[in-house]
Amino acid sequence: MNIFPEAVSTYAHEMDKLFWLITLFAGLGFFITIGILIYSLIRFRYSPQRKPMTFRGNTFREFRWVALGMALLAFADFYVLYDEHDTWDKMMQSVPEEKDLHIAITGRQWNWIFTYPGPDGKLYTADDVIINEPNSTIHIPIHKNVVFDIRSVDVIHSVFLKEARFKYDAIPGRTITKWVQFHRPGKYELICAELCGVLHSKMRNFIMVESEEVFQQWLDELYAGTNE
Amino acid sequence: MATHTQSFWTKYIFSQDHKVIGAQYLIVGLIMAAVAGFFAYVFRYHLAYPDAEIPLWGTLDPRTYNMLVTTHGALMIFWVAMPILVAAIGNFLIPTMLGTDDMAFPFLNMLSFWVFFLSAVVVVTSLFVPGGGFDGGWTLYPPLSADAYLNTNPDFWKALFSGGSLVILALALEFASMLMGGINFMVTTINKRARGMSFSRMPILVWFMNFSVVTFMFSVGPVIAGALMLLLDRVAGTGFYDAYRGGDPILFQHLFWFFGHPEVYVLLFPTLGVMGEIIPTFARKPLFGYKFIIGASIVAIILSMVVWAHHQFVAGINPYMAVFFSVGTILISIPFAGIILSYVATIFGGNIRLELPMWWAVGFLATFLIGGLTGLYLGSNTFDIYAHDTSFVVAHFHYTLFPITFFGFFAAFYYWFPKYAGRMYNDFLGKLHFWGTFIFFQLFALPIFFLGLNGQPRRMADYTAFETLMQDWHIQFREIATISAILLILTQFIWLYNFIVSLWKGKRVSSDNPWQANTLEWQAPSPPPHGNFEVYPEVYRDPYTFGVVQVNGTKRDFIPQNEKLPS
Amino acid sequence: MQSTTVSLRRVPQGRLALWLLIAGELIIFGSAIVVYLLLRLRYPEWGAEAAKTHLSLGAFNTLVLLVSSYFAAKAHEASLKKLKGKVLRYLSLTVLCGLIFLGVKSYEYTEKISHGYTFTSPKLVEAGQGAAALFWSFYYFLTGLHALHVLVGLIAIGFIMYYVKNNKHFHRVELVALYWHMVDLIWIFLFPLLYIMQ
Ligand SMILES: [Cu+2]
Ligand SMILES: [Cu+2]
Repeated sequence: MNIFPEAVSTYAHEMDKLFWLITLFAGLGFFITIGILIYSLIRFRYSPQRKPMTFRGNTFREFRWVALGMALLAFADFYVLYDEHDTWDKMMQSVPEEKDLHIAITGRQWNWIFTYPGPDGKLYTADDVIINEPNSTIHIPIHKNVVFDIRSVDVIHSVFLKEARFKYDAIPGRTITKWVQFHRPGKYELICAELCGVLHSKMRNFIMVESEEVFQQWLDELYAGTNE
Repeated sequence: MATHTQSFWTKYIFSQDHKVIGAQYLIVGLIMAAVAGFFAYVFRYHLAYPDAEIPLWGTLDPRTYNMLVTTHGALMIFWVAMPILVAAIGNFLIPTMLGTDDMAFPFLNMLSFWVFFLSAVVVVTSLFVPGGGFDGGWTLYPPLSADAYLNTNPDFWKALFSGGSLVILALALEFASMLMGGINFMVTTINKRARGMSFSRMPILVWFMNFSVVTFMFSVGPVIAGALMLLLDRVAGTGFYDAYRGGDPILFQHLFWFFGHPEVYVLLFPTLGVMGEIIPTFARKPLFGYKFIIGASIVAIILSMVVWAHHQFVAGINPYMAVFFSVGTILISIPFAGIILSYVATIFGGNIRLELPMWWAVGFLATFLIGGLTGLYLGSNTFDIYAHDTSFVVAHFHYTLFPITFFGFFAAFYYWFPKYAGRMYNDFLGKLHFWGTFIFFQLFALPIFFLGLNGQPRRMADYTAFETLMQDWHIQFREIATISAILLILTQFIWLYNFIVSLWKGKRVSSDNPWQANTLEWQAPSPPPHGNFEVYPEVYRDPYTFGVVQVNGTKRDFIPQNEKLPS
Repeated sequence: MQSTTVSLRRVPQGRLALWLLIAGELIIFGSAIVVYLLLRLRYPEWGAEAAKTHLSLGAFNTLVLLVSSYFAAKAHEASLKKLKGKVLRYLSLTVLCGLIFLGVKSYEYTEKISHGYTFTSPKLVEAGQGAAALFWSFYYFLTGLHALHVLVGLIAIGFIMYYVKNNKHFHRVELVALYWHMVDLIWIFLFPLLYIMQ
């Protein structure tokens, strides 16, 4: 049993590393606090002879241990923010200049619609090719910057490619542009992660990641209208 | 004193006595908990065994699954946690702890309850209207909840008597009721404290109750406006959330979460208050950092108004804004960590009596700690991109809201039962109930973290369509979670039995102050009569004077707030 | 024994409760207005729609509400001295103003509706001006919610007048006057936002 699904995009590993960093901090916080709690419960069990301490934490001397705990948490918090910043920047703030492939992916009840640029290589022109059927498989090339325009025609959906650690909502009236680069070939399930109605759990398509040549071949067949 | 005789109706139904009203809220809340718990059993069973017939239910189609999940969430938060933690505990305790006879506005108090009752009736009715109950998620996200994209000219009455509209109406009534109740709490606190009870001598629970209702009052406005607009979209065909008519679905998410995040604190504060009373009493030690806790809560309330968009990191929010909300979110962890650590510091160095209420308090601290710490993963905007809308979130908020609601309630229940029932519960059954609840809850929620981390999305009727979500260990973990959830629910029958039997047949308490606590409610008779006190108490000190002291020649480790010492 | 004799009682409770109620109401209206403003910034074309509202009638209504607030304040003043006749006279004037306000408002509504500017304005939607239609949704939502508060205020004043007539609860005149001032205040925000901001 692996905790995460296999990491197949360029930023997936960074996100997994972030998970372990947070786990380190959270685990420390958990075991220290629970340790003190259990120690106190055993060490200070009731006895009629015991004279309990009476400090109230009103002076800094008494308060310092709690203050230390808060300071440690603050440190952990900000360290996580600092550490994740590059990843965040990569994923969210900078769509690469060089778009190797630009696809529109549109949610509808209940399948994803994919729009590929036509032979002219540009999206949103007359020769775009639209794939709109449940359980369809689209192909994308490996080691390339694939840019998705995410949108929806009816309710909110959410594009979730768990192996790529890629998830963004598809919202009617908006276009959210995000990118991903796969570095492992394979066929990945595209899940809808936002409740979108009765058949939400059946909203499934596939993304096939393959080498440039195989992808080109698929694309040519797509243009020729000959692939199944 | 109230000496007039009362008929059955004015005594138990249209009562203006805060204790009866508290009991009424409690009963409605518990009935709703039973409904919501039963729904949880049905859909958890379905998740573990997608093809099986569900005992006591039958088969489950995806639409009904969505409806059950939606209703479970809405009921548990608004019709279980809100009435039990805020309204019931607040009603039972605020006037007695302040040493007074009743709320500032007894009639308004009664009215709040009946508006709440009406809201409960409406929300239950919404399950049975033609077209079925609402199935769009308790977060009510439009356009799914608005049906606006299909529906520009709805039939008004038909749309009004549909599941979704009735849920919104019920919410509006519930909010109105809680606002009235909250105003009552605040006015009572300001005006009706006993002589000598300055603000700095108030029990921490009364502070927390007021924080709770203040937070509610300051955050609920936007969601009321937003919900009205949603209702209009449904019944009048407006396009407030319809992107094709200039509206904006994200707008609702902002309005909803502006309220939604503080709402968690609305529920957390009463429980922190309960723990703040129980822990010093059983640790026989003054509450650590009384003033600090109050200050930290105020900071948290202010911060809670600027964190809402952390629920929208994947919803196309501006990435720079997301960093701002992420900072706010992690900042807010700090005051709460301080409060939890203050409670641990109260336990440290005490003379600890491990009675049942203390078990619940410790269980709360341990469980809630996991809930709080897993919030770090979701507060991190980057990791949230992956974890958002997965079962990790489900496990996280069950790890916060379950201890808040149920550990909070049961701690309060066992602690104050001798006072308000005048009888003792069965301690053995109570311990059994505690360990069952504690263990089965962990076994129920822990596997869900791992399923979520492995990419299992939440709110899915079944995972059979996705091969990668049907690995052997996935199926086993779902089974463990489901079986534990069922055992967790069954454990509650031990409590119910204990409650009912102890209420009629429990041993009468020999002392009005069985835990040797200092707050004023323990100075009233058990159970307190209408009007609470025979002689209204006057307060001479703070409520946490514990430790070995010499009082009138006898050795004792507590001094009640109203005990006058010879100078 | 009344609890008031044992408690620290500092603030008149009715007033305290009413201030809290007003705070709650202002947050509800405030958030609706913020939402309106955010969308107003997104859609400059709303200016053209706002120009279609009846500015002079809106201004007249503003005046009517201001005057009514004055009467309410006068009634409060009189209630302190328990001048029954004066209180009743001023409260009736307040009610009269409230009714005029509602009358004018309904006239405005009928006029707008007859021109096709309704809650949903299907004509505008069909013409592809969905955003313009949304302005009218907000117009009716905000003014309607406000009118509802006027109506509630009128009913409350009615109750208070009944009490005062029976020489009871003079102090409640203050409460209803406070509430009425709030209703007035909300309108003073709505008027420029919906009528003037073109
Ligand atoms: Cu979907
Ligand atoms: Cu939140």
